[in-house]
Amino acid sequence: MPHSDPQNADAELERLIGACAAHDRQALRSLYDLIAAQMLGCMVRILKRRALAEEALQDVFVSIWQRAAQFESGRGRARGWLMSIARHRAIDVLRSERADLYREADVNQVPEPAAEAAGDWASAGRSAAALARCFQELTGEQRRGIELAFINGYSHADIARVTGEPLGTIKSWIRRGLASLRRCLET
Amino acid sequence: MKHDQPELIDALAAEYVLGTLQGAARRRFERWRAESWHIDRRVETWDGRLIALAMGLTPLAPAPAVWQGIEEKIRLLEASRPAVERIRRPRVALRALAAALVLCAIVGGGFVAWRMTESLSLQPVATIKGAQGPVVWSIELDVRHQRLRAVALAGAVARPGHSFELWALPGGNAAPVSLGILPDAGQLERTLSQRQWSALAQAGKVAVSLEPLGGSPTGAPTGPVLYVAEHKKNA
Repeated sequence: MPHSDPQNADAELERLIGACAAHDRQALRSLYDLIAAQMLGCMVRILKRRALAEEALQDVFVSIWQRAAQFESGRGRARGWLMSIARHRAIDVLRSERADLYREADVNQVPEPAAEAAGDWASAGRSAAALARCFQELTGEQRRGIELAFINGYSHADIARVTGEPLGTIKSWIRRGLASLRRCLET
Repeated sequence: MKHDQPELIDALAAEYVLGTLQGAARRRFERWRAESWHIDRRVETWDGRLIALAMGLTPLAPAPAVWQGIEEKIRLLEASRPAVERIRRPRVALRALAAALVLCAIVGGGFVAWRMTESLSLQPVATIKGAQGPVVWSIELDVRHQRLRAVALAGAVARPGHSFELWALPGGNAAPVSLGILPDAGQLERTLSQRQWSALAQAGKVAVSLEPLGGSPTGAPTGPVLYVAEHKKNA
């Protein structure tokens, strides 16, 4: 859930991750209460099926429990670290054979990213402001390709199917879009 | 992997994070990532850059069964590893035994003296922890038997295909000497070689690095140094 004060929210998440590293189960529950809904929103978008996403969400929290000691505190990125674990788990499940059973039937039924998918720059911290600025410098096609891949977990082929563009064009959109983002973010 | 092509590495890391790197290419990249701290950092960088895109999605409250499932999985996980409590219990038992033996010693017994010698031979070497985090490992030395004991306390888990390796840092120009792999959970004991024993005796500090599974292939640290701790003989 986006927090009205991103810095305080991140500090609290950081504190809870530290407590999880010390095997504090209540801290894991508090972490769950703070971020599980936001994770599930992201994971359902990628996995299409709620049951599959909820199963993967369980793995995410077990992974957080195991990896909490590896989190490097003080870098102001606790929410990003947690959300990345969730998103990578969803992508792993999506790319597994098991999820292939679901995907083909579902990919055309999922709505395209709406306004909500434009990113919540405020809750994502300082680096998000730079991304917001650089994202606006991309072409519409590049933005769309990157959003469909990142938010919906679409493959190049999925995006080609949804947009009706050739596969090579999609690969080019994304490759050039990411290169532009990198140049913009590193200057 | 062509490590001298930073732009290629960065492009692959970006597509990996985006999820568009698939199939064999994705698996190959994951292997490279596991082998290279540099590649891992590029992935982290792209994660940090793009994650804001996922922050604005409508949250969905998980069903109550999800938390129950997490609790159950963690319970099974904890039960399948030697828990800290189970490691500590024998120590408590040993202390109680020692106390009982001391009592017996009043009546007289050489056995007591032997047990006390055993207990006294265990010396702390180092407490390994991050700047703000909990203690990750406790390292002890059984001086009498020249054995090193490492106890995992905070559930450190190396990335797939990796191990944590402990090093003695003798100082000066002397190279670090491996003291072996550290456990992810539970405890490990090993007898030190004469070289390891000497290096540890001279070491002012010890360090932990992340290495390929099974330990450094070169005999010297190859991965990032994650922790450095004072040798307690200096405390």
